[in-house]
Amino acid sequence: MKITQIAGFLGCGKTTLLLKLSRDLAGDGERKVALVVNEIGEIPVDGKVMEESGMQVKDIGGGCICCEVAATFAKTIYRLYKDFKPDHVLVEPTGVAVPHQVKLAARMGGRDAKISLGPAIVLFDATRPAELLDMDMLGQLVTTQIKDADIIAISKIDAVEDEAVKEATQRVGEYNAKAAIVNLSSFSGHGIDALVSEIIEWKE
Amino acid sequence: MDTNNNSEHGCYTEHGVSGYGVAAKLSRNELMTESFIKAMAEHMMRSIAEKCMEMGARCIGHIKSHLKTEAGTIKADTIGTTHGSYSSGTLTQPVKDVYIAINSIVQGIPEEAVKAATLEGMHEVADQRGLSVLKEKEHTYFDEFDFVASKQDYIKQLEEQLTDSEKPDSNRRK
Repeated sequence: MKITQIAGFLGCGKTTLLLKLSRDLAGDGERKVALVVNEIGEIPVDGKVMEESGMQVKDIGGGCICCEVAATFAKTIYRLYKDFKPDHVLVEPTGVAVPHQVKLAARMGGRDAKISLGPAIVLFDATRPAELLDMDMLGQLVTTQIKDADIIAISKIDAVEDEAVKEATQRVGEYNAKAAIVNLSSFSGHGIDALVSEIIEWKE
Repeated sequence: MDTNNNSEHGCYTEHGVSGYGVAAKLSRNELMTESFIKAMAEHMMRSIAEKCMEMGARCIGHIKSHLKTEAGTIKADTIGTTHGSYSSGTLTQPVKDVYIAINSIVQGIPEEAVKAATLEGMHEVADQRGLSVLKEKEHTYFDEFDFVASKQDYIKQLEEQLTDSEKPDSNRRK
């Protein structure tokens, strides 16, 4: 069971990507995929949207899985392994979660389960790079997310000019030169095949 | 929904991020079409975002909603006042009742202010468009229903989850 997180700041397009990615990853019944969705604000709106798409979804509300409800997340991973045995679990943490802490929490769940970790895919919203990176408190959080990424997906490329995509790519590259960078549009599907391949082939 | 907390405050509080959620039943005497509901929901998202900014928010993280009806589901959201608002989903026929869940996540203002902006935005837009807020409940969701239930059972499940609801302590600005 491989656990892959789709992280990134609030509103960067995680849910839209997760819906498309999960379908493509599942293929024609080739792989069993489960989703774990976490939201702050007490109401897991996204989980309900995903359930309607017919996916196996676990909602975790009431706090952030990288800290407040990390133990609940670990238990959820174990239960999924025991009861559903998916090949892949795609995790959507809150938009303010720190990817390396989510990995630690997932490992807790893997103590009694045979799991491997997939890449930490961090989305970066091409429509508002300055708003995210240049703000005091937020900037620090967003740069931490970028630094933790194994793969950075520049999201919403369909909504901006090519120059803006280049600028976003350059800016995230300043914080993480090791991560692969993928241009992504969940609406057109651009970049999704590349992410599916990365998830399938990823080795810890 | 699991709500076991292991610590008092989440990582997001360190970054000045606050969240608030509310569920409500909205009704209108006249039937509402898909385009009417989408326009109303988008307006609501923008209104909440604008109110958060007026109250001193530095950044709208995400304000999103999920509107369930007997004819289908609509989603609407915004990531900020300069970004517009969007909706998706389809309804198979016009409806009179909508079960809405709103989740507002904002940076720079406390939870009480996010709550006030969310409730105020929801009520104001509902009033402007001729909808009544019949029931509302905070920090909950219609989290126990069967998506393949009959139409009657489905509505019953939604109604039951709003039963015994208490209106959130209104912190709306006067």
